[in-house]
Amino acid sequence: MDPQAVSAASQAVVHTGFALFLDKLYYFIMVPLVYISVIVMIVGIVAKIVSIVRAPIPAFSLKTYPAKKRPFLAALGDTFGMPMIRKEKPLFWFFLMMFHIGIFFLFFGHLDLFPGVNLMPPESRHMIGAGAVGLSVTIPTFYFLFRRFKGQERHISVPSDYLLLLLLLFIFLLGDMISWGNSWTANGFVMTKADFKNYFGILKSFSFVDPRTVLHGSHYHFVVLHVFLAELFMMILPFTKIVHTFFSLPLNLLRRR
Amino acid sequence: MEAATQEALKKLFESKLNKAMRLYLDTCAHCGLCVEACHVYQAMPETKYTPVGRAEVVRKLFKRYFKMQGKIAPWLGEVIELDDKSVNMAYEAAFSCTGCRRCVTVCPFGIDTQQVMNIAKLLLIGAEKQPQILAMLSDMSIAKGETWKETANDYIAALNNLAPEVEALAPTPPGRPAIPIDVENANVLYVGLSGKHSIVPAAAILNAASENWTISHFEAVNFAAWLGDGEKQRLIAKRIIMEAERLKVKEVAVVECGTATRVLKFMTGSHPFRIVSIVELIARYIEQGRIKVKPGTISGTLTYHDPCQLGRNGGVMEEPRYIIGKLTDKFVELTPNKEANWCCGGGGGLISLGEHEFRMKTGKVKVDQMRASKADTICTACENCHTQLTELNEHYGLGMKVESLTNLVAHALTGFGA
Ligand code: HEM
Ligand code: SF4
Ligand code: SF4
Repeated sequence: MDPQAVSAASQAVVHTGFALFLDKLYYFIMVPLVYISVIVMIVGIVAKIVSIVRAPIPAFSLKTYPAKKRPFLAALGDTFGMPMIRKEKPLFWFFLMMFHIGIFFLFFGHLDLFPGVNLMPPESRHMIGAGAVGLSVTIPTFYFLFRRFKGQERHISVPSDYLLLLLLLFIFLLGDMISWGNSWTANGFVMTKADFKNYFGILKSFSFVDPRTVLHGSHYHFVVLHVFLAELFMMILPFTKIVHTFFSLPLNLLRRR
Repeated sequence: MEAATQEALKKLFESKLNKAMRLYLDTCAHCGLCVEACHVYQAMPETKYTPVGRAEVVRKLFKRYFKMQGKIAPWLGEVIELDDKSVNMAYEAAFSCTGCRRCVTVCPFGIDTQQVMNIAKLLLIGAEKQPQILAMLSDMSIAKGETWKETANDYIAALNNLAPEVEALAPTPPGRPAIPIDVENANVLYVGLSGKHSIVPAAAILNAASENWTISHFEAVNFAAWLGDGEKQRLIAKRIIMEAERLKVKEVAVVECGTATRVLKFMTGSHPFRIVSIVELIARYIEQGRIKVKPGTISGTLTYHDPCQLGRNGGVMEEPRYIIGKLTDKFVELTPNKEANWCCGGGGGLISLGEHEFRMKTGKVKVDQMRASKADTICTACENCHTQLTELNEHYGLGMKVESLTNLVAHALTGFGA
């Protein structure tokens, strides 16, 4: 069966009442809120960085010894290699590495969805990693979450720690579903990478077209939910401990020079 | 707590929010890596004795008063209010932390719990809940900076009485007193403590090196650093800095006291003179052949405890080992050592505060290390560590000898007249 035919049929139904409300909500999430959340994230981060840059510098060096010959390189090593974690908790380190490298690839995977950007061959039906990247962030997130239910990790965790991880978990699981689930259906990829490229094209062109015109398929709800949770994540990012993305290096510089 | 006090405490809190503090308070991932790094937690595995648990007291106040999150959804970060209860929590957090900074080396972001605890300590001062002993000792040190001339003659007489003890260890260079004082243009200003054990051995070493030196009128110790009172800390250190300026010395050598060395060396700005630990000076004298030590004066095996403020936080780690290498070939390391060394449990002013029971409990990790080393003697280069190690040795019946490095050197001096 031609998948296009199915979705075209479902589109033909005229929505009223709650369904109409959902259509409007979905549109809001899929288009305007994307812009809003990106703006909130950028403004929030800039404001945070400015507040720190404007704070007085500490009166004396906070470094620990032995002093490193190249403090900047040492701080880079601390930031991206996390040598102390590798030494103290190798399993935790393994998952952290897997997770953060995964995040890195996820970023590029999404970037690849913009029209004109072709990090993967344009004819490829997959995002970078073909689903493996999704797993590489999902599995560690389970680990991060579960470890907070026992021992001291439980006592030092606050509600926001769990909520953040749950948020990530849902984003990732939905992402996994979107990228993998499609290929399991009888009719194969219902929303292909090319479709998502069209959606990103709408975003890029600021045309404010309803993404439903390019994203056919009955699991659109999951796409919307994935996008919504990701927007939530972006909007809270500057106000949570995820600011470590930006502050890890400056912090490690503090102890190295 | 009255609203006015609360306001005043908030202002104090804000005054501490420099770049580093903001980063420390914003960034902790609650990863828990620092938990096992703290010797206090090792001995008493309670959340309030973890580095992150301590910092959380301050962080939760930060969220409550300085972050949007704490105002919109306080439950997200389990924020706390500035009240008598949180002030008590701040006390327990701050004065159970020795400021050893072992946790700093383990945290993936290098979050400095000692610094964060300085906010807690400032709040305690604002709420008038600071430890009175440290406050009193700080004030006495500051007063001494103003009245030292009045007591100078008594001090000089007491120093003169020590001459025979100094000369029993090393001859005095001709034409000089055994313990010179107020010598202008001296090469070295030595800053000791109040007990003669902090003066006699150092004087003998300086004399053996034929150094042109002079002794300070003041004690090196800085009680305000433990109290967490930045202004008083500055005033106490300033007495010594002014003395060095007045005498136009080339170098200030600080007695075996980790905190005093760190404060003077790193927290007083730049000066026309150098500031070193006496340990660095001794190592230099040996290296330059200005003093000679004979090996074999120490019976059995010797180990060395790195004082946190001198080693991890001050960078003096190789010098003591170099000196020890000249004293004995039966040296064994504690494991771990140097930057990873465990705090003895005597830092942060806990010795001055008494706290015997707490210190004996939290010194447990150190005791295990000492036992495992099977050494006959343990030496160190910090007055506080020395006191704590001595008490641990007695309390746990280790049967070791506890020594100061300077004292070991002074008793091994030989081949005079460089
Ligand atoms: C710049 C280098 C980075 C370093 C050194 C770093 C370091 C860390 C560390 C040590 C943890 C462990 C915390 C924990 O167990 O909770 C962590 C967790 C985490 N990081 Fe990063 N990170 C970096 C960049 C990023 C980036 C770019 C992101 C994505 C936006 C990110 C998102 C996260 C998340 C979501 C967690 C899990 C939090 C949790 O377990 O509760 N990090 N990171
Ligand atoms: S500085 Fe030392 S005593 Fe204080 S929390 Fe860190 S490890 Fe524990
Ligand atoms: S190791 Fe650092 S980031 Fe992790 S809980 Fe401790 S202070 Fe926070």
